Amino acid sequence: MTDLSPPAALDRDRIRELFDLRSSYNSFSGGDYTDDPYPVWHELRARAAVHEGTVHRLTGYPGEAMFQGLPFPDRPHFSVFGFEACDAAFRDSETFASSPVAINPIGDDVGVMNSMLSMGGDQHRRYRALVQPSFVPAKAKWWIVNWIQETVQDLVDRIAGDGRAELNTDFCAAIPVLTITGSFGVPVDQALVIRESLRDPAAVVRILAPIVAARRESPSDDLISVLVQAELKEADGTTHTLSDAEIYSFAILLLTAGSGTTWKQMGITLTALLQRPEVLAAVREDRTLLKACVEESVRWLPTDPMFSRHVTRDVDFYGTTLPKGSVLHMCLGAAGRDPERWDRPDEFDPYRPLKRSLGFGGGPHICLGMHLARAEITTGINALLDRLPNLRLDPDAEQPRYVGLYERGATEIPVLFG
Amino acid sequence: MAGQGLVTVDQTLCVGSGMCIVYAPESFDHDEHAKVVALDPMGDPLDAISTAVEACPTGALRLVPQEQEA
Repeated sequence: MTDLSPPAALDRDRIRELFDLRSSYNSFSGGDYTDDPYPVWHELRARAAVHEGTVHRLTGYPGEAMFQGLPFPDRPHFSVFGFEACDAAFRDSETFASSPVAINPIGDDVGVMNSMLSMGGDQHRRYRALVQPSFVPAKAKWWIVNWIQETVQDLVDRIAGDGRAELNTDFCAAIPVLTITGSFGVPVDQALVIRESLRDPAAVVRILAPIVAARRESPSDDLISVLVQAELKEADGTTHTLSDAEIYSFAILLLTAGSGTTWKQMGITLTALLQRPEVLAAVREDRTLLKACVEESVRWLPTDPMFSRHVTRDVDFYGTTLPKGSVLHMCLGAAGRDPERWDRPDEFDPYRPLKRSLGFGGGPHICLGMHLARAEITTGINALLDRLPNLRLDPDAEQPRYVGLYERGATEIPVLFG
Repeated sequence: MAGQGLVTVDQTLCVGSGMCIVYAPESFDHDEHAKVVALDPMGDPLDAISTAVEACPTGALRLVPQEQEA
């Protein structure tokens, strides 16, 4: 353990730069997009089941935006916007594969593209099964008690006396990165170094290597210990433990997914509540309503609104022939507002009947960390409501807006309390 | 409340996503390998159970058609 508590070790300006969606770090995925894409997406969904082109081009974004499944400039691209088509593609992972090539995680290449994110079929199932037990709903308490609760309380301590705060970067952004790095045993002062280095796997490996070595010697109650002790069943029935390279790729995937998404969904949920004071008041009174608010936020404005698959055989898909080798983009943001599945789809309404959206993806690759994300968002918002009386948007500050194309989130969330 | 025999479970298809537990927490659980287990009795209303079945991302759960009560 380090004796640096999160508030002391996390430099506020550095967090801002790393997490502000409009900063250069995030322009990569269309962070400078400021329009509301939903009217265009409604139009596209109504016009045809399958469109030729990428989601960003069809949405009218003039630049090049990157995400999983892009750019692949030499391949044909198609996009779907309806719930049914997105769901069908997610579920048929043989026709719609996560990678254009087979994945060999044993080799020396370390990174997300060499992790289970890109695997398919039986290989994906075997790797995912190693970590799934650490991410089931029943493990939420393990995460909360060991890593989430203390971070959340420390962050509230830092602002509780001020009467005002900017919650997006000063609160939401820090929680997931500290949770996932904490679960790896990475000291707090190195958490931001990791966040900064995610596109440079070698730098992350330098931080992780001594931890992996230490856990191989002496396992403890954390995620790296789970990975070093995991036994992978091969297709032929033999088992082997994970190599260092496999563990690093696993860890980088979990870090990328864990530190980049949940905080934005937390900010989206918070903004939706703060902009609807009657809903916020209802949640304050009855915290069980918070679950429905989180689910509704994931449907209504998922932070990652698009995922992609590689077409493995010529296939007729909703009336369009997709050639083998093409890329299919599923706009799950648009799918979450499909009027075929939801009444008044553009309304944020936590009282609607609970029903699955595709905000966490779908099919066998559905988000591994979704119950952890729910736990982080719920613990964070509950702590704010418990400790910051009369929490409300600051009427004199610039109001929060949703920005970003492939990584969406709120700008700033200026609040008053007390 | 529903009884046993309402849902069939195929553990070979289950990836342990836990989606069923989100919608019907009193009817489904995981074993130690994060494979789905249907509880008996199932403690959620029928509409929550069918929401959970529909939510399974890998089709590991199936509703068994029930005979209408006279």
